[in-house]
Amino acid sequence: MAEPDAVQTFEDGLTKIRGAYEQALRDATDEPELRLVNGRYVGPQGELTKLLKLMPKLPGDRRRELGQRANALKQEIQTTFDVVLDGIHRRARDAELTGPSLDVTLPGRWPMPGRLHPITRIRNEVLEILVSLGFDVADGPEIELYENCFDKLGFPPDHPATDEHDTFFIEGGKPSGPHSVLLRTQTSTIQVREMSRREPPLAIVSPGAVYRRDDDATHSPMFFQLEGFLVDTDVTFAELKGVLTLFLRRLFDEHVAVRFRASYFPFVEPGGEVDMSCVFCRAWEGDKERTTACRVCKGNGWMEILGCGMIHPVVFENVGYDPEKYTGFAFGMGLDRIAMLKYGIPNIKLLYDNDVRFLSQF
Amino acid sequence: MLTSFRWLQELCPIEADVREVAHRITQAGLEVEAIEEKGANLSGLVVAEVRTRAPHPKRDKLTLVTVFDGEAEHEVVCGAPNVPEPGGRILFARPGTILPNGLRIEPRKIGGVESSGMICSEAELEVGADAEGIFIVDAENEALPGDEVADALDLHDFILDIGLTPNRPDCLGHVGIAREVGVLFGKRCEPRRAAGPRRTFAAGASFQADQPTTDLVPSWDGESEPVDAPALPSISIEIADGDRCPRYGAALVSGVRVGPSPFWLRYRLHNLGLRTLSNVVDATNLILLEWGHPIHGFDLNRLRGSKVVVRLARKGETMATLDGIQRTFTADDLLICDGEGPVAVAGVMGGADSEIRDDTKDILIECAYFAPRSIRRTSRRLGLQTDSSHRFERGVDPEAVPRVLASAASLIAELGEGASATTAIDRVAMAYSPKSISFRPARAAGLLGTPIETEESQRILEALGCRLIEKTDSAFTLEAPSWRPDLGREVDLIEEVARVRGYDEIPTAVPRVRPSESGTPEVLRFISALRTAAVTAGLYEAVNYAFLSVEELQKARVSTDVVALANPLSEDRSAMRTSLMPGLTGAATRAQRHGATEVRLFELARTFHPSDDILPREDTTLAIVLAGDRSGWIGGDRPFDFYDGRGLVEAILDRVIGQRSDFTPGEVPEFMHPKRSAIVSLAAREVGFVGEIHPDVGDALELHGRVVYAEIDVAALHVVTEELGTPQGHALPKFPAVTRDIAMLVREEFTAGEIATALSEASGGLAESVHLFDLYRGDQIPEGQRSLAFRVTYRDPESTLTDKRVDKAHAKVAEVARDRFQATIR
Repeated sequence: MAEPDAVQTFEDGLTKIRGAYEQALRDATDEPELRLVNGRYVGPQGELTKLLKLMPKLPGDRRRELGQRANALKQEIQTTFDVVLDGIHRRARDAELTGPSLDVTLPGRWPMPGRLHPITRIRNEVLEILVSLGFDVADGPEIELYENCFDKLGFPPDHPATDEHDTFFIEGGKPSGPHSVLLRTQTSTIQVREMSRREPPLAIVSPGAVYRRDDDATHSPMFFQLEGFLVDTDVTFAELKGVLTLFLRRLFDEHVAVRFRASYFPFVEPGGEVDMSCVFCRAWEGDKERTTACRVCKGNGWMEILGCGMIHPVVFENVGYDPEKYTGFAFGMGLDRIAMLKYGIPNIKLLYDNDVRFLSQF
Repeated sequence: MLTSFRWLQELCPIEADVREVAHRITQAGLEVEAIEEKGANLSGLVVAEVRTRAPHPKRDKLTLVTVFDGEAEHEVVCGAPNVPEPGGRILFARPGTILPNGLRIEPRKIGGVESSGMICSEAELEVGADAEGIFIVDAENEALPGDEVADALDLHDFILDIGLTPNRPDCLGHVGIAREVGVLFGKRCEPRRAAGPRRTFAAGASFQADQPTTDLVPSWDGESEPVDAPALPSISIEIADGDRCPRYGAALVSGVRVGPSPFWLRYRLHNLGLRTLSNVVDATNLILLEWGHPIHGFDLNRLRGSKVVVRLARKGETMATLDGIQRTFTADDLLICDGEGPVAVAGVMGGADSEIRDDTKDILIECAYFAPRSIRRTSRRLGLQTDSSHRFERGVDPEAVPRVLASAASLIAELGEGASATTAIDRVAMAYSPKSISFRPARAAGLLGTPIETEESQRILEALGCRLIEKTDSAFTLEAPSWRPDLGREVDLIEEVARVRGYDEIPTAVPRVRPSESGTPEVLRFISALRTAAVTAGLYEAVNYAFLSVEELQKARVSTDVVALANPLSEDRSAMRTSLMPGLTGAATRAQRHGATEVRLFELARTFHPSDDILPREDTTLAIVLAGDRSGWIGGDRPFDFYDGRGLVEAILDRVIGQRSDFTPGEVPEFMHPKRSAIVSLAAREVGFVGEIHPDVGDALELHGRVVYAEIDVAALHVVTEELGTPQGHALPKFPAVTRDIAMLVREEFTAGEIATALSEASGGLAESVHLFDLYRGDQIPEGQRSLAFRVTYRDPESTLTDKRVDKAHAKVAEVARDRFQATIR
């Protein structure tokens, strides 16, 4: 049922909206206001929406034309809305881009990781180098048989060579002899264990805790060592020198000088100790004054770093290898000492205090 | 081993200076740990002559002395009791001189009299121990007033502190070190003959007729005057245990006067760290330091029965040693006895009753070779380590006995102004036979990795004292010298050649390492991954001692079935840990004491447990502790609780295993909170636990607040990973998922986990996941209940789900919630 007034109302409505919408939308200063204004025209209760609801009341001959006009207007409003909204967004973005900065000094919000203990850290560094050279990693018990810690490594019975190994014994076991039980004093026990169960070629490194009855400013009753050894046909002292020189240069500095001198450990012969140029005063750089004042190397430019040698034939005999067929070298180092040198840790006790103020330094 | 460079130069005259010698012997295995210059700190101290001597006007014990220092006279107040007559020479510190101890001498008033300078004692100059009186220059010394003290008294020396390895007993005396220096510098430095005593006598009836003797005269230089044999008891030596005492020699010196030693001897002993006692005792010490061979002097007249018997002790036998301590022996101890009982612990220490005294006239000098093991066992058992036992247990030179006796007799006779017998008893129970060793130059080259001229090897080995027995194209056979017990097989000789040439002469080569078949055990890589995961999850790594006290274990309520130490350093560290908990929470307690507000620690280490095997069981565990507040963003801190622990464990396990772990109520250790702890499992295997520490245990451990603790059994975890294998990839789902929420009121006793599992099962396999997204207690929720809201994700991998199917499945889910958990669906 067409109502003549309806056409008038409809056209008036369109005229009114057309005259007002653009300014109204452009006056909006932010997105919520814009959406509110927009809703006044095209929202569910909007003026244009209401007009469109009058459509059925329009006379049939006008309905199509008026409908098209209304839809065109709706389209224009949408276009204006989009333009204004873009403008608002742009202004907001420009304001952020040109306005005051975020306070970037406030703390981050992601949980922080912890830290590895310096002993673990140095162990990882050392293993990474040696494993890249082809060494496998092995492991063994910390509580050991006397024979694995001493006899089979060629320590003669009742010999002063054991003086440096002031040993903790386990209560209830045999008080002495090869089957007495003790806390291992060195990781060299791994030589005996691995050679007893495997055949050459063997290239093995083994880090771990060891124990000696020493407790003073420079000794800890528990500390960490790393043992390495290589057994094959025709292994030479020259290769021992090659591996350790390369190892120390990779671990500390490619410029360090490395010096081998004779020494004695019952399970190697020829046996040696390795000195490297002091990494504190960087002795290789030749600054005499700095080296003279160095408290770590006491001015002589060298520091003891590890013990080494060719595996003694008696060790091979004890594990059932033919010493005429195989030769090998072994080396051992204190991981605590290496960590202290590399990370500048002033006191061994810090390693076992577990003070987070210390642990968080690494 | 403190070594006088001066003495070395006397025994082996070479051109090299002290630093060069120190460097070479260090490289060759005699590590010089320190070098101390002697006589250098006496600059400005001079010899002065006493001109006048008068009592101090006010103080009884002081003397006014005028001394002439070569330039001027000085008036000095002196407190010493032994100021010499005018003409006597003393050592003088002029005003302005700095003493070795750093004290600067300034003029000062003493009892109202100005004293300008100081007359010095041995001790003040640090050239001896005597602090009783001032040093008086010997009449025979030609020093003039004004001469520098160091020159006048011949004090210049360097003392090398050599850290000797236990394989080199030959270097425990200057003769041996000089020999070594000679080898390294290409000069033959074999021991020389002793000066020889001025007066000698034929032992004759002084030794019993059946005693084997050795002639000392060939070991002496110079002429001596024969005197009549003194009337002495007739001595015999008997060795009852030839295994332990293969050789025992005894020399005789008669008519000595025991008194103070001359300054040169006292100075030498002082520099080498020995106390000076009397000329005879000092002489035995000097011989020890010269030859590295301990000797012992007996007062002949105190040897009962005029005999010496070397035998094993009877169990329970006793004797007082020189240090005044009464010792009790076992049947494993070797004793030197006279006709009635023990007079010395062989090779360790003499007895108090037969020691040299001020009135001793006739001396029996012992020089023996004792079996090293025997001496070591006795020395250890008695807790008595002496300069003597130190050498015998390493092995002295058995063949040096006659020469050492000759030197000792000569020196004691000279210092004590006595006469020495020209022969000595030399009883050999077991003759020394040199070891013969074959040396193959090709083997040496092969082991060292560098060719060495055969002639060079031979020259080095002969310089060291080896005797060439036989030589072929491929090998030579040598006899090792008697002073090198460490040389017994070919490799020992290879080492000698290598170290005398210098390890620097060996080139460096990098080997091609052949891979082994087994490689690194997987579990070691796994342990390393666990550590990394723990750190990534926010934990700091701790390393604790593996031993602690049983009380600590008790306090922590962990197992006290311990592996105990037989000889702990202290009660605090007498038991191997059975759990990482006491150590790790201890670190947390200390951190809280330091004021740390947030403690996040882990330890990955072993625990030790008695087992039926000969070795205890060692378990590897990852332990975690959280204490204090978890820091939030700017003030959002809140105390750690169970869920932090659970989340942390999940994060760590997820990282290393790549799979979600399950947390269920269950039986946790006694030290854990019974209601706020859970068992951790993976793939239906228990791998650990997590929760809060029992508040009573927390109190006992002095922890504050709720403390979260977790343990993961590394071996169990490793088994699970092996079972789970490597993660396998799947194609992504082709069909969309549909989510539906279900909220319910349910009693507290039902866990969210069991409800979620039941809901999932109820879906007839259609639920891909059931996820708790809301939990609420409080207002409008009845007491003892809580509101839980789950989001169920439905998916059919084979087709697109219809609403109808989802509705049906979701209805089942709701039904289970209602029926099984009496839930009110909201």
